[in-house]
Amino acid sequence: MDQVLEVRNLVKRYGDLVAVRGVSFTVQRQEIFGILGPNGAGKTTTLETIETLRPIDEGEIRVGGFDVRTQQLEVKQIIGVQLQSSSFFDKLTLTELLSLFGEMYGRTVDPTVLLDAVELLDKRSSTVNKLSGGQKQRFSIATALVNDPVILFLDEPTTGLDPQARRHLWGVIKRVRDEGKTMVLTTHYMDEAEELCNRVAIMDEGKVIALDAPLSLIDQLLKSGKVARREQRLATLEDVFLNMTGHSLRED
Amino acid sequence: MRRTWKLTVASFKMYFRQREAIIWSFLLPLFVIVLFSFVRFNGMGSITLGVVDESGGGGKELGEDLQKIPALKLNEGTKESELVELEKGERDLVLVVPAGFQNNRAETDTAQGQSIIAYINEGRRQQAQLGVLLVQRALDERTFSRIAVHGRTVVQTQAVKSRDLTYIDYLIPGVISMSIMQMGIFGVAFGFVSLKKRGILRRLSVTPVRPREFIIAQVIMRVAVLMLQIGLMVGVGVFFLHLHFIGSLFFMLLLGVLGAVVFLGMGFAIAGVSNSEDQVAPMANLLSLPMMLLSGVFFSRSNLPGFVQSITAFLPLTPLADAMRSVAIDGSTLLQVGPQILQLLGWGVVTTVVAIRLFRWE
Repeated sequence: MDQVLEVRNLVKRYGDLVAVRGVSFTVQRQEIFGILGPNGAGKTTTLETIETLRPIDEGEIRVGGFDVRTQQLEVKQIIGVQLQSSSFFDKLTLTELLSLFGEMYGRTVDPTVLLDAVELLDKRSSTVNKLSGGQKQRFSIATALVNDPVILFLDEPTTGLDPQARRHLWGVIKRVRDEGKTMVLTTHYMDEAEELCNRVAIMDEGKVIALDAPLSLIDQLLKSGKVARREQRLATLEDVFLNMTGHSLRED
Repeated sequence: MRRTWKLTVASFKMYFRQREAIIWSFLLPLFVIVLFSFVRFNGMGSITLGVVDESGGGGKELGEDLQKIPALKLNEGTKESELVELEKGERDLVLVVPAGFQNNRAETDTAQGQSIIAYINEGRRQQAQLGVLLVQRALDERTFSRIAVHGRTVVQTQAVKSRDLTYIDYLIPGVISMSIMQMGIFGVAFGFVSLKKRGILRRLSVTPVRPREFIIAQVIMRVAVLMLQIGLMVGVGVFFLHLHFIGSLFFMLLLGVLGAVVFLGMGFAIAGVSNSEDQVAPMANLLSLPMMLLSGVFFSRSNLPGFVQSITAFLPLTPLADAMRSVAIDGSTLLQVGPQILQLLGWGVVTTVVAIRLFRWE
């Protein structure tokens, strides 16, 4: 399989604090790779270093064959980024923003197609500050898709969203995956990782402490006998909540 | 190139969709000009005179004579009220015409003099002295008309039409310069810090856009807005406020671009070291307030004490305002405002270098 992203022995320091301590992993074409971990584990720092936002202190990162340290511009051309808390110019409409973002990659994009992909077509003449939290995240994904990226980075895409908006965003992410996109996402929701990711890396204190498919990790835990096999319920409280409040979004 | 152009177009759209921006850059300067055009600084030369007539009719003609003198602004009242006004500084002098005063006395009485008391405002000694002279002259004219005086020397005045520059002529080039400063320091610094704080610059920095492309787009947009401002202010001045504009609008625009380089540099430097609007405000005010007051925007620097004049000569707004004014109302060429241009160029280099060193995307 093709390797789209390769991180080798990445180290990142902020002064005396070592935020990332020798992280290595690879991401294959068309997989969704999850980086899990508690707050402060180094997930976002790792992601931002790959995205060229922070200089690499030690180690090597290659995206689509380009070296992040020396070929920043080439890397920026082929990645799509959704930042944890990014906002957009608030005096431009969604259509204008997407066209503008396309131009930054030297592309003329069709905003309608992109907005349709994230189910925001009816908001095309709206501005970002008029969108709900879930809509903003979906729009953010649309802007990350303007350059038809080789790999898409989503930093905690569903943090702060209610269950309906979260499910909705999962749907959008799955559709993007089905179109053949490779994605790396960070999250601290385990159900999200289980639902979306082909493989996950669990980080703690700047290190990767486990890396495998979600189900194999669960199986390993069960085999180790450290937890009692729980009686399997076929529904969760979230299912109850969604059943009672409905699956449909209420943001519009 | 294309990317810079698209960013410029987007910057324009964003700017003109901001109601505050329109108010700040177009309506506010006009408002300042119109407001100050009502303040008759030219009228400050007139002398405010309080008259307290206790003569019981004898001073009536004196009052009429004084009324005819255009330089005097007459107010009548009781002694108490007029003296209160004098103390408040509302009068330059107060005349008290005493009981029994006769302006038209029989010729036989003229041997015996009579006096009028004038209370004068110490703080406006010059105006007060002039006022006393004018009153004295009015009294003398009456006396002369009654008694024959021979061989009197009379000064004959002859009016020569001069350019008759008004305060508006001083003010408009000043306010134009001030607007350039405000746009640079406040517009850019606040605008960029807001983009930075909201993470918009961060989002841009993961696209292939180079920082300089975005900055060039911003500079082009702001310079264009500034040209509109200059045109608007000169236009309003000429058509509505009798601005004696004899210079070249083109030269003013060129000076505007030069001034923009200086002050946009300052704005980017402030934006570079600030992370929030709260950090911008004190720096922006600290830089702009002294210039607004001391660089000859609203009043001439020649009114300032000598050492303050020497210091303010080095502020970047001073050469800009001086050059703008010289071009607008004296019709100077760029060569004639060469020293100012050199000074601005010097400042432009300084602020640009500082801006490049301090500017950060996040």
